[in-house]
Amino acid sequence: MYVAVKGGEKAIANAHQWMADRRRGDREQPELDVDQIQQQLGLAVDRVMAEASLHDRELAALALKQASGDLVEAVFLLRAYRTTLPRLAETCPLDTGAMHIERRISATFKDVPGGQVLGPTYDYTHRLLDFMLLAEGEVPEADRAEASLEQCPQILDCLNAEGLIEQEVDDGSEPYDITRDPPDFPVDRATRLQMLARGDEGYLLALGYSTQRGYGRNHPFAGEIRQGAVEVEIEVEGFDGPLCIGEIMVTECQMINQFAGSREKAPQFTRGYGLAFGRNERKTMAMALVDRALRAEELGEPIQSPAQQAEFVLAHADSVEASGFVSHLKLPHYVDFQSELELLRRLRREHAARQTAPTTEQAADHPETAGTEEAAQ
Amino acid sequence: MTGTGTRAANVRPRDWPMLDDGVHHSQQLFRQLLSAMSEPGTQQTLAVAELPAGAQLSPAAWAAVLTLCDLDTRLWVEPRLATPGLYEAVAFHTGASITESPADADFALVVPQTLSEVTSFAEGSDAWPDRSTTLIVVTDSLAEGNDWVLSGPGIADCRGLTLSAEAVPLMARLSANLATFPRGLDAFITAGHQLLAVARSTRVEARTEHAARIEEDV
Amino acid sequence: MNDFTHSAPTSEDCSASGNNDSGQNRSGYNNSGYNFAYLDEQTKRMIRRALLKAVAIPGYQVPFGGREMPMPYGWGTGGMQLTASILGADDVLKVIDQGADDTTNAVSIRSFFERVAGVETTTETARASVIQTRHRIPEKTLSNDQILVFQVPIPEPLRFIEPSEEETRVMHALEEYGVMHVKLYEDIARHGHIATTYAYPVKVDGRYVMDPSPIPKFDNPKLHMSEALMLFGAGREKRLYAIPPWTRVESLDFEDHPFEIQAWDEPCAICGATDSYLDEVITDDAGGRMFVCSDTDYCQSRREEVA
Repeated sequence: MYVAVKGGEKAIANAHQWMADRRRGDREQPELDVDQIQQQLGLAVDRVMAEASLHDRELAALALKQASGDLVEAVFLLRAYRTTLPRLAETCPLDTGAMHIERRISATFKDVPGGQVLGPTYDYTHRLLDFMLLAEGEVPEADRAEASLEQCPQILDCLNAEGLIEQEVDDGSEPYDITRDPPDFPVDRATRLQMLARGDEGYLLALGYSTQRGYGRNHPFAGEIRQGAVEVEIEVEGFDGPLCIGEIMVTECQMINQFAGSREKAPQFTRGYGLAFGRNERKTMAMALVDRALRAEELGEPIQSPAQQAEFVLAHADSVEASGFVSHLKLPHYVDFQSELELLRRLRREHAARQTAPTTEQAADHPETAGTEEAAQ
Repeated sequence: MTGTGTRAANVRPRDWPMLDDGVHHSQQLFRQLLSAMSEPGTQQTLAVAELPAGAQLSPAAWAAVLTLCDLDTRLWVEPRLATPGLYEAVAFHTGASITESPADADFALVVPQTLSEVTSFAEGSDAWPDRSTTLIVVTDSLAEGNDWVLSGPGIADCRGLTLSAEAVPLMARLSANLATFPRGLDAFITAGHQLLAVARSTRVEARTEHAARIEEDV
Repeated sequence: MNDFTHSAPTSEDCSASGNNDSGQNRSGYNNSGYNFAYLDEQTKRMIRRALLKAVAIPGYQVPFGGREMPMPYGWGTGGMQLTASILGADDVLKVIDQGADDTTNAVSIRSFFERVAGVETTTETARASVIQTRHRIPEKTLSNDQILVFQVPIPEPLRFIEPSEEETRVMHALEEYGVMHVKLYEDIARHGHIATTYAYPVKVDGRYVMDPSPIPKFDNPKLHMSEALMLFGAGREKRLYAIPPWTRVESLDFEDHPFEIQAWDEPCAICGATDSYLDEVITDDAGGRMFVCSDTDYCQSRREEVA
């Protein structure tokens, strides 16, 4: 029976083989190809890229396929791949003001310079199952605008002119890199934003939601949400000005929140910020809410709610870390369990011995307890 | 840049030896460095090619630089060791940046005398004692002996060392680690291809009267 | 060989620096397509620098830039990164989990290093030069030419008393460990015993209180003045720490409640050992059970000696 714990190697190999078989499913069905996932499950691909911190649609799609659609597993696969890549260059900061807009909305003004652009969205759809899709009905191509959109100014910049909103100023400091160095708490805002950007969407959504329900309320307005392609640039020695090495799709959310001010400083709106790879609107909104909540200390607000506690929020935001540590409970723990068993048995033996000990001794030790017991009898 | 050398002016970065291969050779050297730091006072012989003529470093110190330094590290170099071409060789072989400020250095190439002149190497803080400068010391000779007696973690009982008289300022500095622990300086001490380490947790005592007397002077 | 070459498969590197990776010599690559022992050389150097600090400040948790490994956090990624950073082609690796070489986690990690480093592996404690372990220290006394690498889930011994990293860092800095004694004493008040049976806190060289990882307290005495270097890696928490050979390691206790280790009423049912940590194996559903060595190699070698 001791051999029950032996043979692990073979069992593991078999388990993996079975899983691969399950993933493939019925061989009568054509196998999903990575291009199909990239094209037709694009939002899942985007979420995997965002939380894995790697912009590569094809590999994100591959990860989704390999993980049988398990998003957290796919994020993990892509993150583990990312960590093996050499760092060839550092990009210049993205200029989202120069974004090729695909979607851009503001909830704070009826109309804005550049206009409201709905773009592709599920927002106003009726959530009725479309049985046409079940019947493989073809979708007509969308109409396209004749002219491409002009560059749109950032809506929050419009408030800048009046000084109504706080200005974000680059203090020139090198940002901390959470992929290279472990964060040491308390961390600055740039570090917090990095951690939130790869944080689990569901977790950020719940925390952001909690601020709306009063746990660290900060009165948010969706100042601007924009989605589109931005150029990625790097500085190369020997070239004047940065070189564009490609375009990536990103979503950005700028929340406008209740004003702060002090005796010295005029009241101003404050900001919360969210940015993510791909089309990731819910994620960026939740991120902006949590970012603003985590600024409580800086803005002199009382820290009373979970979403305002930086170490709590940030240390538990990463789905790769969280799912790893939860799932490790499946590993054998019998050595430690045996330790607990041994102690528990000893404690119970001693307890039993005390129970059967002569009542006189007990009465001497605990007169009031003994008295109560007698009374109960 | 200071330092002199008759033929050294023409030394190119590639004249400084590189590791036989970036993976296995550096692993072997690292294990020797790890052994040295784990068991302070024990000597290791580092296999690395000879340095170009005129170089003031020891081969062992150069091997330590190749093993530990890269783009993410800052190196401070004692002017007496900074022969022409050394900075270029460091940049070429490791990518490490040279810093002018001892307090910013992750590693410092020094001679024992440096420790009586430069006091600003980073010792870390009580909260972050790891944020300290590691010394890579170039000296004339290392031998077992009883000028200096080391004890503490990594040493079963005690371990004796003999260093040349010039080592006194260095050993005086390292014996002061005890009072500031966990802040302090860790040191690799090299001579030729030989290397040993003194960790900040190591208790350093001067045993001979000679050493003791000089230690008092410092 | 003085010529500098960029020969790594992924190298489009524009810099001319040797340690600027990925300019590694091709000999570091292997059939897996990854670098020797998986991690890239720059990551290894970062971990190696941190290890030297850890050894120089015994028991202090050095933060390091832990990387994602191709195994889940919590499954030994810290230990694996340490092993990957110290491992050489000549090493002989042993991996155990719960003292056994053939538990799923141990099998998986061993086969990982066979694949990405091609090193020789063994189950024999005495033959191994590097031993990665989860939750046990081998029964056979380790020698000075061996390194033991522990997988650590929560490196901070004060974490369950004080959840904030900011706070515990100050407590370590000020050597303020009173809360730990209070916690242990509360156990005594409640149960008559210290109720911590594994991950039992120790004090290293009289300074740092350290979590020895979730080894049973039975193993704690093996940490004291061990001949082997002990390295501890926590991947998710991104901390590593060390106990050099011949270092004082004391388990926290009280004068009236001295530290004591577990003992069993019966010997190992297989090899008859009375000095080893025993696992309980349930043999039927009527409360039948037997006790056997948790260290499978120890048990096996004892049986071979008898035979």
